[in-house]
Amino acid sequence: MRRVLIVTAAAVLGFTAQAVSARGNAEAGKGKATVCAACHGADGAKPIAPEQPILSGQYPDYLAKALNDYKSGKRNNPIMKGFAGQLSSQDIEDLAAWFSSQPAMLSTVHR
Amino acid sequence: MQKRAIQSVLAVLLVAGMATSGALAQQSGGNAEAARGKTSMCIGCHGIPGYRTAYPEVYQVPKIAGQQPAYIVNALKAYQSGQRSHPSMRGIAAGLTEQDMADLAAYYGGGGQQ
Repeated sequence: MRRVLIVTAAAVLGFTAQAVSARGNAEAGKGKATVCAACHGADGAKPIAPEQPILSGQYPDYLAKALNDYKSGKRNNPIMKGFAGQLSSQDIEDLAAWFSSQPAMLSTVHR
Repeated sequence: MQKRAIQSVLAVLLVAGMATSGALAQQSGGNAEAARGKTSMCIGCHGIPGYRTAYPEVYQVPKIAGQQPAYIVNALKAYQSGQRSHPSMRGIAAGLTEQDMADLAAYYGGGGQQ
């Protein structure tokens, strides 16, 4: 019984910690996003060039994956590699939380 | 007689020019209507809110409706060339022509911003 409780508690704690780190801190991300705004527009909603993606309202784990892939070079973009290479894992989670929390310009809609 | 010949040549050139520019405009802009028959492979993942990929990593597949068309075309080209690596997207993009990509980009780029 005691063992079950310990295992359950550990599982719950582990899950909670994972959820928090996966979510990031949107407010902290806002402060780190000023560099991004130069190209992706304020709040990531209005990119300055047609080939740059809209970020606002995108899923946070996809945004984090994109930044991690730019950082590692798995996704090859010289401009984004320069920025993403400077980011810590926490920076990436915070930025992902910030942009995903902005009003959604994107959707899964199929007309 | 010569004047009429010149007029004919000019008319032909004008029509040819219009046809060319029309074709170019359609190619660069894509045709959202033409994409309707091409989205069946996209819908299974990108059409389901919150859908997650299971392989090779677990994350929510991006929302693409409302995204910038030029970004979508570049993404599809990068998957096709292998520059961007995702097994499913590479397989799907491999079967697309440039016109398919432009059409899909026009379709998704025009969505989600009503």
